[in-house]
Amino acid sequence: MKKFLLFIFLLLLPIATLAHVNSPDVYFDGFAGPYHLLVTLRPPQVVPGVAQIQVRTLSNDVNEIRVLPLRMIGIGATMAPVADATKRSSDDPQLFTGSLWIMVRGSWKIQIEAKGQKGSGQLEVPLPAVSISSQPMQSGLGILLGILGLALAAGVIGIIVAAAREATLPDGQAYPVHPGRVRLSMAIAALIVVGAVLFGNRWWGAEANANARLNYKTPNMQPSLLGASVLRLRLDNPNQTEPNRLFRGDQPDRIRLDDLIPDHGHLMHLFIVSMPDMKSFWHLHPDQTQPGDFAVNLPIMPEGQYKLYADIVHHTGFPETQVATVNLPAVAGETMSGDESGAFNLAASDTVAQLSDGYRMVWERDDKPFKANQPYWFRFRVADKDGKPARDLEPYMGMAGHAAFISTDGSIFAHVHPAGSVSMAAVSLAETGRPNSGMESMNHGSVGPEVSFPYGFPKPGEYRIFVQVKRAGKVETGEFVAKAE
Amino acid sequence: MRDTSEVSLARRGPQAAGIPWLVWANVIASLCISAGLYWDISWHETIGRDTFWTPAHLVVQFGAILAAFGSAWVILRTTFSGDAEARANSVNVLGFRAPLGAFISAWGGVAMVTSAPFDNWWHEAYGLDVKIISPPHVLLAVGIAGIMWGGAILAASNLNRAEGPRRETLRRIVLVIGGFIVIQTMTLKLEYTNRILLHSALSYMVLSIGTLLILEALARVSGHRWARTIMTGVYSAFVLILMWVLPLFPAQPKLGPVYQNITHMVPLPFPILLIIPAFFLDLMWPIFKDAPKPQQALFGGVAFTAILIAVQWPFTTFLMSTAARNRLFATVDFPYFALPSWPGPQHIFVHAENSPGEFWMRMGLAFLFAVLSMWIGIYWGNWLKKVRR
Repeated sequence: MKKFLLFIFLLLLPIATLAHVNSPDVYFDGFAGPYHLLVTLRPPQVVPGVAQIQVRTLSNDVNEIRVLPLRMIGIGATMAPVADATKRSSDDPQLFTGSLWIMVRGSWKIQIEAKGQKGSGQLEVPLPAVSISSQPMQSGLGILLGILGLALAAGVIGIIVAAAREATLPDGQAYPVHPGRVRLSMAIAALIVVGAVLFGNRWWGAEANANARLNYKTPNMQPSLLGASVLRLRLDNPNQTEPNRLFRGDQPDRIRLDDLIPDHGHLMHLFIVSMPDMKSFWHLHPDQTQPGDFAVNLPIMPEGQYKLYADIVHHTGFPETQVATVNLPAVAGETMSGDESGAFNLAASDTVAQLSDGYRMVWERDDKPFKANQPYWFRFRVADKDGKPARDLEPYMGMAGHAAFISTDGSIFAHVHPAGSVSMAAVSLAETGRPNSGMESMNHGSVGPEVSFPYGFPKPGEYRIFVQVKRAGKVETGEFVAKAE
Repeated sequence: MRDTSEVSLARRGPQAAGIPWLVWANVIASLCISAGLYWDISWHETIGRDTFWTPAHLVVQFGAILAAFGSAWVILRTTFSGDAEARANSVNVLGFRAPLGAFISAWGGVAMVTSAPFDNWWHEAYGLDVKIISPPHVLLAVGIAGIMWGGAILAASNLNRAEGPRRETLRRIVLVIGGFIVIQTMTLKLEYTNRILLHSALSYMVLSIGTLLILEALARVSGHRWARTIMTGVYSAFVLILMWVLPLFPAQPKLGPVYQNITHMVPLPFPILLIIPAFFLDLMWPIFKDAPKPQQALFGGVAFTAILIAVQWPFTTFLMSTAARNRLFATVDFPYFALPSWPGPQHIFVHAENSPGEFWMRMGLAFLFAVLSMWIGIYWGNWLKKVRR
């Protein structure tokens, strides 16, 4: 029963929330010099803590991979500790695993150095790190510590009584029975034990509370409708009161709302999904009216309940997703233009999504079920009405495509690009020290008929994947059904 | 001759023949724990990365195991062996029999063992160490105190029954263990006694808590003319030796971000000049030893604190000066995580008090705590002088 309750408790704990929602792992597709790598970073639940890294090489000519954590910006971005070697799997020589010590909450980059037959190459992968939750004590450990604690308490009482009763007696003399003295020493010992327990309990509680306050909380923005079709979003900042730690070199990133940087051209990427049917999906770009305040003209939308996910990036490269649920009346709206995109009549499919002009988007997947927390490449091919590879695809906001992975209950959300699940502004910061220096070094390549996204589902369940590409000047959205075990 | 000495030894009994091995085991354990803790802190400032199996941890664990298992063995042997003499010198704790010091030492070992999984879980639940003073670390410190005080009480009980050269050896052992107890408490106080804080009242307030309790209690047990000087001398020599030796070993940080160019182990700060007020108390001992206890406490506490401030304040000014900027005074090496803009690397003082009122209140508390510590130490020492088991 206890185990069951613990299991339920663990289920209720938030997995993680920051960039994306409840999808903390970083998946990244990139090149370290001549070597093509798929990188998976699993940040620690608690910071300071240990992140796990897994690197899969796409060629078999890599001999050694070393990894190094650095802060994203500031002096900590330049001064490095000793790099760590990763361990090459004996079963799979193209798989390298290792661990990384993340000592402070905020925006990090992981420097990956690959050495092999073609020399060496380097790659930087952004890693946002926050404390998510405190782990409860395992029942076995609790019992063990309880027994040891009782033994210590009994020991204190036994020792104090013995000290008062007979420690000063000459050798061999039996202790005289002084019930009053023994009782007094017992009372004092009991008082010490009770005092220590009460003080310890209070202290522990205070530490746990202080720690809980440091756990990252998902920001819940406030949506409101201005007039008939303008959506106003007031951002939330529940994590701004991050206290400084005395006598530590590095302080956690202080989260502000006046420091946002554009991510592929926009300060905010807003995703709107109708719930619970998930047949409507929009990807909009609200404008900042003042720090922490955004507004956007809504497109034509049917009445209903919608989940809102707003991706923003702070000047440190630290990404956040602000969330909200809103009930909207039917919105007359405006015709979408520029980078605004979406549709309200999508039909989710297992493998083939119908696009306009008879085009189709095909999910190239095998029949194997997806496993949670495993990295996959999600590959999609666009074919014309004759089934031939589409030739008229073009970059959409600088990339071959965008994908949103959303669980059917709306609790998990990730905005993913061909380069991975990280923000492109953070990638640029990690690579060049500047947030928007162009993304030429990323592997989004030329826009061919196929687009792929590296990602892993964070937990078992039903998901929808919304894939967006731009063709003949128009953004097309395909919706797919996925299940993770 | 040979037969005679054996007969003589047999008559005096094994206790009289030498120092009980558990006393030596406690001395070695105290040394290992003190050195291991110092090394561990330097490790955290230099290399940073922490596991259960770092060499510094292993040294501490060896000390704990030596004291805990040694004590457990003595408890079991005294309880079950039927050795009448050993039982006659023992106390009864929860049905077991052994010298009081062995029980305290064993208790300290159990507390240290308990703190290990507790601390490990603490790291998993709340993150790796960000400060020295946390519940599992305090449990560890209490355990270490148990081992060291257990050793001191074991040595004291033997000392109180000993005569001649053996008594002299035991007096020294008590003082050496006393020195290790001073080292341990000073290690706990490190966060508050960095040189950048030594022109604040906070440091002196923290320094006055408990220091005279240790010095006074064990000075009385040992009865040595220069007891306080020897105990603080052990602390000073220990810190100075490690401070000069550790930087001879090359090392690099394994945690980031790194803000200092680290090429060798980072030493801990120069020892606090406790030895000077301690020497003064020893010097004055013949004068104030016959005074009533409250007056002794008042005189000792006030004099100790006043002299400590009088010497440490200008000496810290010197430590901050360019003249002291060398390895001899350990003022040139900083933890890997120390930002170059920080007061330490900038060699400037931090003033922990926000107003003169707060400063003087804390200074007043420093004197009060010293007097109280000494007062408790006097009673504690007088009781320890009577411990025979």
